Amino acid sequence: MSYLQIHKAGIASSVQDSGRVSTLSIGIPPSGAMDPTALLSGQHQLGHHHDEAAVEMAYADFAATLTDTHDVVVTGAPVRLSINQQPVTSKGVLRIDAGQTLEIKATNEGVYSYLHLSGGIMTTPQLDSRSTSPRESIGGLDGGFLKDGDNLPLSAPDRAVLAADAQLPIRKPKTVLELRVVSGFQFSDFADEAIQGLLTEEFTVTAKASRMGVTLNGAQLQSGITSLFSEATCYGAIQVPPDGNPIVLLNDRQTVGGYPKPGAVIRSDCVRLAQSRPGQRVRFALCSPDEADRISWLEQHYLETRLRDAH
Amino acid sequence: MNFELGPAGEAAMRLVFTEVPQPALTRALLEIANRATQRFGPTLTDSVIGYTTLTLFFSASTLERDRTEAWLREQAEATALVDHQAPEHSTADVVLPVLYHPSVAPDLEWLADDRSLGIDDVIALHSGATYFAYATGFAPGFCYLGTLPEALRTPRLNTPRAKVPSGAVAIADAQTAVYPCQSPGGWRLIGACPEPLFNLNNAPPSPLNVGVTVRFEPISEAVFRALGGVIP
Repeated sequence: MSYLQIHKAGIASSVQDSGRVSTLSIGIPPSGAMDPTALLSGQHQLGHHHDEAAVEMAYADFAATLTDTHDVVVTGAPVRLSINQQPVTSKGVLRIDAGQTLEIKATNEGVYSYLHLSGGIMTTPQLDSRSTSPRESIGGLDGGFLKDGDNLPLSAPDRAVLAADAQLPIRKPKTVLELRVVSGFQFSDFADEAIQGLLTEEFTVTAKASRMGVTLNGAQLQSGITSLFSEATCYGAIQVPPDGNPIVLLNDRQTVGGYPKPGAVIRSDCVRLAQSRPGQRVRFALCSPDEADRISWLEQHYLETRLRDAH
Repeated sequence: MNFELGPAGEAAMRLVFTEVPQPALTRALLEIANRATQRFGPTLTDSVIGYTTLTLFFSASTLERDRTEAWLREQAEATALVDHQAPEHSTADVVLPVLYHPSVAPDLEWLADDRSLGIDDVIALHSGATYFAYATGFAPGFCYLGTLPEALRTPRLNTPRAKVPSGAVAIADAQTAVYPCQSPGGWRLIGACPEPLFNLNNAPPSPLNVGVTVRFEPISEAVFRALGGVIP
């Protein structure tokens, strides 16, 4: 067993893989990487299976020493890297020798970056996943965000590493990010003005953004719905609490809720939203369920093609 | 029965019966969820029951929307509520021990005063009813139980508490619940349950699952401590 000795963990670093399935009915959210494309890219470059975990860092400010030699890749939001205080390229696979210290610092773009280590992270899976759900204290290292002084167990690297740089493109937010919405839930019960506001006004990402969801600010949406029976939420669900500021629910959301929801943002736009910083302008646009399925299929196909061509 | 069908995002379908929540409705939703498990196999990753809803979650790109919707419509149309006899108080599926005392229940005296009741009356009312588990969620092991006796119904706090302790027995509107772990919460706290309600090593991890009946059993401070309860 080798270790990643963490000197500086940063504000919200955690072990994440592709997340859990089949735990919603016992009240546990899926969790998993906020940017699954970045996770996939790193795992691919290291020749890992897609379910290996990585260290997810929000606004990376991370420093750690490896007790053994490993190959590493950093994906997701762009970062500055240094090994023993010498700046190195942040693209492609890097070899870090035993005893060397890797530092990862965020640039001014994006939110979530991923540190992938050859051999993979060897924390004990819970409910078939290594993903951390901090609120439930499940998965990861002792169920929580990583702290300064933590030692993260790694498997000895035993797989050949790909030479190709298969970095998948970063999802750069546009000036105004369009969030495509599949309508549903209480859409038809919402006050007309609220739907009008949702679909025509511009919103901005606020600082109330976390793995649970992103609160937006713009038109104050008054749903006109005063009481609702608690029901399942879903990834991307737009929750409208009484203060009128919509919240887009993400990986660590509560599995049920009682706030009205006019619909849900499609998966790929949720990832773009997760990678957006406070101040990012967004707009909502309706999208039919069939269109959402088509976008989802195209993205999946595109990713598979990119990864195959990289060999 | 009246129902609506629609998407819940891009990989889930939602069925809602536009009816008053009642145990017979929840049992019907459980029955449809069981049939869905058989019908769709591993492509159905989760089914979540709310008071009047069933949401079926499918793994990415495996949801055949038209066929799934047609199947759910058939199920919903075939649903008729079967009235079961209300369970005897003594035969509740789960019995939870509760210490009702102001030392562990910051809203107990307030509630009694507000209703011009004695604390003993509040305890008798809360522990005298048999509750039905309508939904789980919010936190692992958190279960929405109904229906609270009319005399105890009270709105949530205007400002939720930042920390509700694990085991807190709480009420809000016509519902009651036990907080399985420390979390923020806006429900009123009237007791404490020393029994752990969520353990991943148990199958299922919580004794409180949708469709079970529950009652609360008042216990003394000594029994509370003996069962592992802690008085702050």
